[in-house]
Amino acid sequence: MLHVKIPTRKEVIEEEKSKGKRIAAVYPIHYSRELFRAFNIQPVEVWGPPKTDTRKANAHLQSYICSVVQSGLSFYLEGYLDIVDLIVVPHSCDSLQGLGSIFKDFIKPKQELVTIYLPREKNKENVEFLANELKRIYKQLSQLCGFEPDNERLMEEIKTEEEIDTLVLKFYKSRGNLPLSSREFYTILRSREYLPPDKFKSILEYALLHASKGKLKKTGIVLSGLLPEPMDILDVIDDMDAFVAIDDMACCMRRVYEEGNSSDPFERMAERIVNGPPDPTKGNSFDERFEFIKSLVDLTSAKGVIFYNVKFCEPEYFYHPILKEKLGKAQIRSLIIENDINEPLPQQTITRIKAFIEMIRELS
Amino acid sequence: MDVKDKIKYIFSYKIAGKLLIELNTKKAFKNFKPPKNWRTDILAPPLRTGVYTKEIIAKHYLEGRYVSGVKPVAWVTSGAPIEILKALGFYILYPENHGALCGARKVALEISEEAEKKGYSIDICSYARTDIGATLSKKTPVGKLPKPDLLLCCTNICQTVLYWYRVLAEYYKVPLIVIDTPFVYDEAKKHDIEYVKKQLEASIEVSEKVAGKSLSFSKLKEVVRLSKMAAELWLEIMNANKNKPAPISVFDQFIHMAPIVEKRGDPETVDFYSKMLDEIRERIKNGIGAVKNERKRVLWDNLPIWYKIRFLSEFLAENGVSVVASTYTNAWGELAPMMDIERPIESMAKTYVYPILNRGTGHKLKTMETMVKEFDLDGAILHSDRSCKPYSVGQMDQRLKLLNELGVAALLLEADHNDPRAFADEQIKSRLKAFMEMMD
Repeated sequence: MLHVKIPTRKEVIEEEKSKGKRIAAVYPIHYSRELFRAFNIQPVEVWGPPKTDTRKANAHLQSYICSVVQSGLSFYLEGYLDIVDLIVVPHSCDSLQGLGSIFKDFIKPKQELVTIYLPREKNKENVEFLANELKRIYKQLSQLCGFEPDNERLMEEIKTEEEIDTLVLKFYKSRGNLPLSSREFYTILRSREYLPPDKFKSILEYALLHASKGKLKKTGIVLSGLLPEPMDILDVIDDMDAFVAIDDMACCMRRVYEEGNSSDPFERMAERIVNGPPDPTKGNSFDERFEFIKSLVDLTSAKGVIFYNVKFCEPEYFYHPILKEKLGKAQIRSLIIENDINEPLPQQTITRIKAFIEMIRELS
Repeated sequence: MDVKDKIKYIFSYKIAGKLLIELNTKKAFKNFKPPKNWRTDILAPPLRTGVYTKEIIAKHYLEGRYVSGVKPVAWVTSGAPIEILKALGFYILYPENHGALCGARKVALEISEEAEKKGYSIDICSYARTDIGATLSKKTPVGKLPKPDLLLCCTNICQTVLYWYRVLAEYYKVPLIVIDTPFVYDEAKKHDIEYVKKQLEASIEVSEKVAGKSLSFSKLKEVVRLSKMAAELWLEIMNANKNKPAPISVFDQFIHMAPIVEKRGDPETVDFYSKMLDEIRERIKNGIGAVKNERKRVLWDNLPIWYKIRFLSEFLAENGVSVVASTYTNAWGELAPMMDIERPIESMAKTYVYPILNRGTGHKLKTMETMVKEFDLDGAILHSDRSCKPYSVGQMDQRLKLLNELGVAALLLEADHNDPRAFADEQIKSRLKAFMEMMD
C-alpha cells in the first residue's frame, strides 16, 4: 500500500478557480485535454458520478438510457456543476448526442456549451475533419476567454499530454510490481480525469518509485468496458487473490493516445484521438479490438478478460458476442457482466466473478 | 457472372415471377375490395393503388432470391446515399425494411431470439436483432435474402448502425463503406459537408470495384432526378392530409412508404406515387377521409410499432381519431428540395447530413410545431421507442413544450418498434383513452 494524497475533484476545482482558471465539466469519452489547457481551462470529467440520485434526470431521459448519462444529467440538475464555467459534451454515442442536444435546446445551461463531433473510422480524412472540428472549438473558446493561444502554446500542452501518456503506459507496465490494490491503482490512474498535469505526473512518478522487482503472484485480469464503477468490482477481484493487470476501459486505457506526427497542433491533436486505441464508440473493427485486447493479455500474462458493461450501453453490447468467440478461439477465457453504476454490485454478479476467477485459475 | 445463375434469374424472376406478380396485381386491382376483416364501419377502404405497393415489394424480394451472381448486392441503412450504388446497377437491400416486414408479419420476435441466443443483448435495437437473427438463422418471411457483396452504412440515422454493420461485415467478410455524417446541433458547418462529400467520393472507387464497372455520371444524375421526383411526390401525398378529413392515415403511410425507402431512384416508384397521388386527390374531391368519423387529428412521432399497426389504427379510429401527420414518414420527403440534379455529389453530401434523426431535439420540436399548425392537429402521440435512442431522447421535453406552449394534448407512449415484448395491449389502450380525454 502506498500513502499518496490525491486531492478530490472539489479541492482541485476550488484551487484552480482561485488561480483564475476556468473549469470545464467534460462528459465522456474523447476530447483534447490539451486544447482546453491552452486556454487556462481545467477539464474536470463527469463519469456519472456513480451512486447519484437520478430522479431529476428522469424528467428528461427515458429509463432505457444508461446510468452514466442519467447520472451525468442529474448531477448537473442538482446544481453540483454550478461552479463550472463551461460544459463539454463529446459525441460519443446516441445517448450523449441526445444529452448535448437537450442541454442546448431545453435545459439551456448558463455556462457555455461545447459539443465535439468525433469521426468514426481511422483514416486521413477523419484526421482532417477532426482538426477542423477542433479549430471550430478553438474559435469558440477564444471568444469565451478573450485570447488566442498561439501554436507554440498549443504544442507545449500537446507535448505535456504526450509525456503523460508515455508515463501512464509505464505505470500500466509496472502494474505487477506495484504494491497497490486494484482500487488504489485505478484511483490514482483516474485522478487524471480532473488533476492538472503537473500534479498527476508527480503522483505517478511517486508511485513508480515504489515499484519492486518481484512480480505480483496473483491472477491477472483484463477489465474491459466503460468504467470500473462501482469500484467494489475491483475489491471483489482482489479478494479472490487476483488483480486487474490492465484494462480496455473507456475512462482509462482507451484514452492513452500515441504521440502525433504532425507539426500542426490541430492535426496532431486529431491524429492522437483518431489513431488512438480501438474503442467501440469509434466503430473500430472486431479484428482491431480483438488484437488490442489480446495484446493486453500477452503483455501482462493475464488469465482472462471481464467485460464489465453498463446496462443499455449499445456500443459495448454489439461487440461482446464476436469478441468473446474470438478470444475463446485464442484460448482466452472471458466473462460478460453488466451493471448500473448507481446500484451496488449484486451478489449474483459477485458469485459469477468469483466462479470465473476460480475457473481460469484452475485452467491455467 | 455464372450462366446458371443468370438463366435462373431470367426465368424465375424476369419472366415467370414478374409475370405472375403482375397478373395478380391486375386481378387484385380489377376485383378490388377491402380485406374480409377490414373495419369498413370506421375506416375508409384501403387505397386501391396499394395493390402496387404489394407488387413493388413482392418483385423486390423475389428479385433478391435470384439476384446473387447476376447483379452486385449491397445491404444499406435506411438513410444511406444509395444513388451511387443504384447508378452502378446494384441490387439494394434494406435490412431495416426487412426488419419492419418481419415485424408487420409478426415473426420479428422469433427471428430476434436467434440473435439473442448467440449473445446479442435484448437491449440493442430490435431491427438489428431481427437482422442479425435472420443472418444467423436464414429465417425470413420472404424466402431468402441475397448475401451482400458490399455494405453501406450511413450514420445519419443513428450510431447503432455502425456497430450493427460491423457485425454484418464480420459475418459476411465483405467491404463496408461508412458514410459518417456529423450530427447537426444547429446548422451543418462547411467542414461537415466537405467531410461527407469526401467520403462519398471515396465510396465511388470501392463501389466500382465491387460492381466491376465505372460510374456513369449521366446515369447518376438520372437516378438523382428520379429519386428527387419520387420524394417530391411522397411529400405531396403527405401534405394532402392538410385537407379535412385527411384522405390517408399515417398508418397507411407506414405501409406505403416502403417504395420510397427501398426503391427510390427507380422510374416505377415515380409512377407508383403519381398513381397514388391521383387516387388521394380523388378522395379529397369526394370528401373521403381515412377515418370515417374524423373527430380529432393527431401527429405520430418516431417509428411505427410494426406489429400493432392494425390494432392502433382501429382503436384510434373507433374513437374518431385520425393520425394525419408523422415526423417519421415526413423524413423521406422533406429533403427532396435539397437534391440538385446538376450537382449530385455536392447536393447528396448536404442532403444526407440533414435528416431529422441527425438533427437536434429542438429541430424536431420545431418540425412538430409546424405540423401541428399546418395540419391543424389536436394532439401528438410520441412513441418512446426503446430501440431508437436518437429518435426518443428529447421527447420528454418536446412533449411538455407541445403541451404547455402550444396547448396541444401530447402523450408519451412507451413501446418498441419491432419487439412485441415491450407492448401491453390493455396498458396502451388505457394510456390512449386518457390521451383522448385530454383532447376532448
